[in-house]
Amino acid sequence: MFRSPTLREGRLRRLTIACARALSPIFLLGTLVLGQQGNDGLEAITSAIRARHFDQALQLLQPRLEMNPKSAQLWTLRGIALINKNNKKDALSAFQHSLSLAPDYLPALEGAAQIEYETGGKDAVELLQHILRLQPHDPTSHAMLGALASRRGDCASAVSHFEQSQSLVNTQPGALREYSACLAALKQTDKAIVVLQRALAEGNADAGVRYQLASVEFLAKQPKDTVQTLQPLLQQNPVPADIVELAALAYEEDGNTPEAVRLLRQGILAYPHKLDLYLDFANICIDHQSYEVGVDMINAGLAAEPKAAPLYVARGVLYVQLAEYDKAEEDFAKADALDPKQAIGSAAEGLAAVQQNDPQGALATVRAKLAKRPNDPFLLYLRAEILAQSGPTVGSAEFRVAMESAKKAVALRPSLAGAHDVLAKLYLQAGQTEAAAEQSRKALASDPKDQTALYHLIQALRKSGKKDGIPELLKQLADLRMESTKQEAEHYRYKLVEGKSPSTEK
Amino acid sequence: MFTRRSFIQLSLGSTALAMTPRLFAQGVAAHTVKPVARPAPSERPFNAHFVDVAASAGLREPIVYGGVDSKKYILEATGCGCAFIDYDNDGWMDIFLLSGTRLTGDPPGATNRLYKNNRDGTFTDVTEKAGLKETGWASGVCIGDYNNDGFEDIFCTYFGQNHLYRNNGDGTFTDVTKSAGLWNDQPRWGAGCSFVDYNRDGNLDLFISNYVRFSFEHAPVPGENVNCNWKGVPVECGPRGLPTGRHSLYRNHGDGTFSDVSKEAGIASATESYGMTVAAADFDEDGWTDIFVACDSTPSLLFMNNHDGTFREEGVVRGVALSDDGMEQAGMGVGVGDYDLDGHLDLFKTHFVEDANGLYHNEGKGNFDDVTRSSRLAVETRYICWGAGIVDLDNDGYPDLFMVTGNVYPEVERKLPQYANKTPRALFRNLGNGTFEELGEQAGPGVIEPHCSRGCAFGDFDNDGDVDILIVNLNEPPSLLRNDLRGKQNWIKVKLEGVKSNRSAIGARVLVHYGGKVQAQAVLSQSSFYSCNDPRLHFGLGASGNVDIDVFWPNGLHEKFKAVSANQLVTLREGSGIVPSKGWAKK
Repeated sequence: MFRSPTLREGRLRRLTIACARALSPIFLLGTLVLGQQGNDGLEAITSAIRARHFDQALQLLQPRLEMNPKSAQLWTLRGIALINKNNKKDALSAFQHSLSLAPDYLPALEGAAQIEYETGGKDAVELLQHILRLQPHDPTSHAMLGALASRRGDCASAVSHFEQSQSLVNTQPGALREYSACLAALKQTDKAIVVLQRALAEGNADAGVRYQLASVEFLAKQPKDTVQTLQPLLQQNPVPADIVELAALAYEEDGNTPEAVRLLRQGILAYPHKLDLYLDFANICIDHQSYEVGVDMINAGLAAEPKAAPLYVARGVLYVQLAEYDKAEEDFAKADALDPKQAIGSAAEGLAAVQQNDPQGALATVRAKLAKRPNDPFLLYLRAEILAQSGPTVGSAEFRVAMESAKKAVALRPSLAGAHDVLAKLYLQAGQTEAAAEQSRKALASDPKDQTALYHLIQALRKSGKKDGIPELLKQLADLRMESTKQEAEHYRYKLVEGKSPSTEK
Repeated sequence: MFTRRSFIQLSLGSTALAMTPRLFAQGVAAHTVKPVARPAPSERPFNAHFVDVAASAGLREPIVYGGVDSKKYILEATGCGCAFIDYDNDGWMDIFLLSGTRLTGDPPGATNRLYKNNRDGTFTDVTEKAGLKETGWASGVCIGDYNNDGFEDIFCTYFGQNHLYRNNGDGTFTDVTKSAGLWNDQPRWGAGCSFVDYNRDGNLDLFISNYVRFSFEHAPVPGENVNCNWKGVPVECGPRGLPTGRHSLYRNHGDGTFSDVSKEAGIASATESYGMTVAAADFDEDGWTDIFVACDSTPSLLFMNNHDGTFREEGVVRGVALSDDGMEQAGMGVGVGDYDLDGHLDLFKTHFVEDANGLYHNEGKGNFDDVTRSSRLAVETRYICWGAGIVDLDNDGYPDLFMVTGNVYPEVERKLPQYANKTPRALFRNLGNGTFEELGEQAGPGVIEPHCSRGCAFGDFDNDGDVDILIVNLNEPPSLLRNDLRGKQNWIKVKLEGVKSNRSAIGARVLVHYGGKVQAQAVLSQSSFYSCNDPRLHFGLGASGNVDIDVFWPNGLHEKFKAVSANQLVTLREGSGIVPSKGWAKK
């Protein structure tokens, strides 16, 4: 599960968020204006600023400003002095005053842009774009615009700006991370890897960049490279938890379950309050059908974090695999009570009822939860799926509710591939083959390995007479099936057992 | 459908982008599809009533097949088929039952058996006299007159060596496997089979599916890996984890010999499926016989005839290979019939426990819709189902569904009693509106008695105008469910004799029109699970007193017969019309 898009997507989100404010302020004293040549007063002011005697500079500026209140230059110098005294509010006012006198005065634009950038001001973008109108190739402005675009999730714009400031970005680890995170978000992982590898090779990278490279390699399904990249970081003592997690996942992806388990066990010992480590361990246990071991580890997690809703859900899932439905339901209810906003517990509760041979009960559970949370996409998807499974007649009330629930689920959560799948199935039943194809394609956009979506798409195309693309889709489906069969065989090479040492048995 | 994906994507805080990991139930593609709620009973009377008369009929010998309380290898679990065959052409259905053996050696009495119909409700074991005594791991049987001499021959598949038995016409058979060119150089696991005239030359060719490439030397044992466990209990392994079998097509040269044309016919390229029951019929109604293979835990196969000696495999795109969610299922048995009376051949496929059996509606050109859920079949997922048929059991003119069940893991019952080794039959009566209703004791004690069954054959052994059922029970005597039909519903049976087409008329498609309805059936060499039905096609007619019949002969001739009276066996000879029927008992 997590070795497919789910974890990868989550990892990508975390990377992007972490990089949001990574770009360092660049415009420090870089645009100090020397003023008119041969002006002793100005020279004294700029000298004071260079010598970091900012109070002196302000004292020198005061009378000059009284004499020349319309000098954009003087106001800019005042702004520079103030910014270096960390008085950003007054500095910004000074720069803005300068710009009111000379709107295209570059030093004032740069100063104001820097402050707005640092403080998250709303005018940062406009100021930087103004600079670029005057200096279209200014790498600093491009880099800062790239960072801002990245922060607001506009990776396409971010990448465009970063590409125009690459020489600068390459020397800035924060910018590098942001740039590569956006490339990865745009599914240009190969390019992201090249960027990061170059930075590492040129010695411009810090541990964060190395970790970023490993993350992108993992996203690109290159677990061997991920492990290789992480090796220097794994020599630390202690190894940071996020590195433990990534390395373990990469080892597991690479088929080296014993090493993955060893790392996770050690990580859990070192960081007993890190929920992700327990969840990753549980995930491995599920994949290797080692449910009891998973339960035991989650128990340990709950001892450290007794109010961790995700751990209750994970344990509930494990109990379902063991057909211990009562315990599973207790855990899901507990998770729901601890964190009602997530609704994961409710959804899982509904699923457990289905698994227990009680579709009516499942529907009742889901309906009750939906009454309190009518816009929960998971619950809506569940309702659609349960109703669809009962084979409602097209046009019946149940069919309509199933359809509406699925539509609402995908509207609320477009990435919910399962909801797209059930909606596609309903459309197929209703003879709406174009709509079915559309939903299947959306599901595949979220998860290219969704065999159900592929199959529905094939059926939709066949029914609509659009057979040209079918052979390729059939091949994809066959390839996916073989791949998942091989992966299953790989997973089942190992089964986790309890033991004194954190080892696995084949 | 909920799979582990559903739990995982919800439970661990993901955004539901996980790929679909299938919940492999230890070697079998299992779906944990839970049954849907049963609708309220229709309260309509069901006039068919089944009673097991095997013992009184003389069918008392157990069908030995593998371990009784536990099974070490999958070979012991898959079981075998049976057939209704009129081997002596007296117009009365005789019975042929396959058998297995044990790992510890051949127990006394472990042999295939031929029972001659005494025409009085009893049968006589004529196995030895007929030369059909054979012990081994038999799988499937298919019947067909491969040499067009007027006597039905028998082909049996085995783990090891298949056997072709030529009917000598005098009550005996001769094993002609070698001389016919059907001898395996290496042992193989033959599974389903069908005689089929794929090239329309009037000679029955032979298709054989293979299940698994198995050897005792290399087979894993219970508990050895995750394909050898079921719900925590160590069990026989597979089929997952074992290499898939290779299917074969043999062309009949018309001189008693066959040659392997698997490669040139395009059959050999289908290498990723565990083949089981074969059903050969013209599903797309283009006049050429196609071949459907139910496959276990892998996509089922539908080989469409290209009319030039080759086939193209199109199971997935035509909607019969996978579940309606594109998932593999454990496909074992096949029923072929027309449940919705639209004149097209639909398919019914049996599946594993915790999965609904699949009903596939043929749109008419060999493209199918999975109507399992809308037909209300998904109310039942408690059993592993095997032999099955789309057959009108109560003669009301609407074909019903019948299947036999039985576990593959007898040892599981001790730990998990809800998964019993012996389980009842399942009968779904057709409500006439595209949906079915499951019946139990209303259909008689023969339906609810628990057995560990495999193959079953549908036929009228007592020639009283209804459909009886012969059932293979593992390590028990077989069942012979006599249908004591009540009421006065009409019926007609159609027997075909090919002339230019193969003598058995295998591959022929028949439409019977009655009361504003039309029902399609096909003459099959195998269906159900590894079994062969009475070749006389039985049509329940309800209140209709006469019918019109369309026959589409395998070699392309189309004949129509108008206003044929009900309640009789009609024998149609290709190009000659209605001819006298053999040995039919008149009421």
